[in-house]
Amino acid sequence: MDLKISDLRRRFGKVEALRGVDLEIPGGMFGLLGANGAGKTTLMRIIAGVLPPTSGLAIVGGNDLSTREGRVAVQRRLGYLPQDVGLYPDLTPVEFLDYVGLLKGLDDKPARTRQIGELLEMVGLSDVGRRKLKGFSGGMRRRVGIAQALLGDPSIVVVDEPTAGLDPEERIRFRTVLASLAGHRTVILSTHVVEDVAQTCRETAVMAGGRVMFTGPVTDLVRHAEGATWEVTTSGPAPTGGVVVSAVGRADGTHYRVVSPSRPDPEATPVAPTLEEGYVAFMQTVSAGAERVGSS
Amino acid sequence: MIRYEFLMQIRKRSLWITTAILAVVMPLLQGNRGPSSLPDDMSARAVMGTWAFLFSILLPIGFGTVLADRLVRDRRLGIVGLLDSLPVGPGARVLRRYVGSVAATAVPGLAIMMAAAVFELATGRHDPALLLWAPIAFALVMLPGLAFIAAFALVAPLVVTAPLFRVLFVGYWFWGNMLPTNFLPSLTGSLIAPIGDYPASWLTGERMLWAGDDGWLGFLRPDVTGATAALSIALLLLVALVPLAASGPLLARRRVAG
Repeated sequence: MDLKISDLRRRFGKVEALRGVDLEIPGGMFGLLGANGAGKTTLMRIIAGVLPPTSGLAIVGGNDLSTREGRVAVQRRLGYLPQDVGLYPDLTPVEFLDYVGLLKGLDDKPARTRQIGELLEMVGLSDVGRRKLKGFSGGMRRRVGIAQALLGDPSIVVVDEPTAGLDPEERIRFRTVLASLAGHRTVILSTHVVEDVAQTCRETAVMAGGRVMFTGPVTDLVRHAEGATWEVTTSGPAPTGGVVVSAVGRADGTHYRVVSPSRPDPEATPVAPTLEEGYVAFMQTVSAGAERVGSS
Repeated sequence: MIRYEFLMQIRKRSLWITTAILAVVMPLLQGNRGPSSLPDDMSARAVMGTWAFLFSILLPIGFGTVLADRLVRDRRLGIVGLLDSLPVGPGARVLRRYVGSVAATAVPGLAIMMAAAVFELATGRHDPALLLWAPIAFALVMLPGLAFIAAFALVAPLVVTAPLFRVLFVGYWFWGNMLPTNFLPSLTGSLIAPIGDYPASWLTGERMLWAGDDGWLGFLRPDVTGATAALSIALLLLVALVPLAASGPLLARRRVAG
């Protein structure tokens, strides 16, 4: 299911959270990157039909989200995992999923029950499916959240900051689940954790200040740091004149990776960039005044 | 979905604790007009009507305060975004929640009425009809009031905060149900008093509180008959539709505001 957004704006009082977003999202896994406050969550909520836009166009699978009919048509085929998803603590995962399934219009009880069992198996919660949600950890709650998003086999799945606050093991598990979904669906992953996009997405967009500043393959974003990524090991002060992306203490000093348009230290050597470094380099160009950079 | 709304409400410990406390306190404080003062030859219908009215004096306050967070807690739990992303509109969700919550809240109310009937059977009134009149009295005296206050308790906290609603609700309860009719203009004893004055008075054959009384706004207090008791029940259910009808637009407005 493809998604086309043009000149989308959303205002909260005097604050303009989205300032004319233009974006096309094809099928498959799509990463939406940006710092906190970039407008990602507002965009995700509009795509999920939770929030109406102030103006502009959002078409999902041919349905206009600014109309009630269009919004409901999209919501029938949508799975949504909001940031900080809440669950009813006095229900069990089985009951909660059944409740959401009913609200999604899954009226065939045997089919719904079978699907709930399969989804709990998929997210590794089968053995606690009949325990009340009130005692669940953040990671377990997030897994219930992704299970509810997948109820009804939606053709578009929107997940907002799904790995925030998860421990490394949970994060990897979650990424694996997300990546396995994208085969026949559109999965939009909104996050400020670059590693999540690097591990799961081929296409990405970068938001800043309520606008989309980049759309294209992940490899194109990485290229923004080509020739501008350096590593150096020193026992002296950290290199200046660039952004230190990582600093690892070693016996012979501290090993730095730096994004900088020029050599940040006489001893620094150029290295192949990662997505995180591509993102940092790109954001440097954005903050330096670039209006819009994109490969597509 | 109503089933889960029912489950969530009936699993609320505060519902059972509130009911249990008031169910013990009210018989202890019943005074000389309560069911323990009724003559031995009083009919089962009148006895259970008196019990239902006794519980109706304060129990709805407990029910109203317990129900006041049913809608706003979605926001507190962070589940509103998820619910709004589903194809069922807010109005339909509220209606199902209302039905499930009222049904669940009615269970402890019905339970204490049955307990009262068993108590009467065990302590001298050997009339099995008490067990029949207990649910009837509950349905006629307590349930319409519960349906009335549940609608306001669910929806009003969308406009004012739940704690403020609880304070206002307690004030309303005493003003609108128990204040003497000649003291201030009030809805006490009127057809839309959710305390159940009309149906209880009709069941017992005696005026329970202020039903049919003169005083301020006396035109709202016709004489007690079967017809006016039925009218009172119908009006309570009808007025309950007003906040329910308003809930959809209220929730939609919140959605637009983000």
